[in-house]
Amino acid sequence: MPGSYVRLLVILIAIAAAFALVLAAFVFAGGSRRSKRYRPGRPFTFMPVWFLSAPEEQSRAGIARALTSGSLAGRLTRPRETGGASDRW
Amino acid sequence: MIAGEVTSSSVERLGATQSPSAPPAAPQSANPKGNPEVVDGPLSVRALLRIDEALRLADATTGFVFSVYIGELGPNPRETAELLHGRLPDPDVSVLMAISPNERVLEIVTGSRARRRLFDRDAKLAAMSMSAAFAGGDLGGGIVAGIAQLADHAGRAPVAR
Repeated sequence: MPGSYVRLLVILIAIAAAFALVLAAFVFAGGSRRSKRYRPGRPFTFMPVWFLSAPEEQSRAGIARALTSGSLAGRLTRPRETGGASDRW
Repeated sequence: MIAGEVTSSSVERLGATQSPSAPPAAPQSANPKGNPEVVDGPLSVRALLRIDEALRLADATTGFVFSVYIGELGPNPRETAELLHGRLPDPDVSVLMAISPNERVLEIVTGSRARRRLFDRDAKLAAMSMSAAFAGGDLGGGIVAGIAQLADHAGRAPVAR
């Protein structure tokens, strides 16, 4: 019966196509996650971040210190004496 | 112009104007709970939680204020890092780690009081170990190791009598 063979062939092709689609979905999902990983020398797109352990408490304490010291201008000027280090990779 | 004064253009460059590459207007907690926008940054949730814990521990142990910035630093990375450091609540006792992954630059800035306990050679050692981790693609691990190393060198905060 040629009709049943054709139907079986269509079903098998549909199963294979569905499997390929699922695999492609996994690959693209994995690709978007991997792009967040940093690789030196490759372009790395991200939103800049700036962290403190307790920003609310520390900003309040900083403003209080600036008020008691008589100036808030220090918040917009670099400290005169800074130390530290620099490096590249 | 007074040395160290922040010009209007440099303030704009440091985030007064909102652009995708501009720094955030103010530092925030690394903990993604309550700060869902930090997930759009360069670090995984696991790395963010580890950094948050490392920052809290370092602050509590040393009495300094540790801060981490990850973003573009421009053509003068040291100057930009010092300007960011000056915007922290109490720069004199603050330690800023500024990292630019695309420019492959790391700057550690210590305030005038912080550097009395955290010498430049200690900062250089921490910077070298951080750079080694960054060169291997491990941003989060390098930051956590750097915070721990700097806190270790700074030691415990002196007890007030």
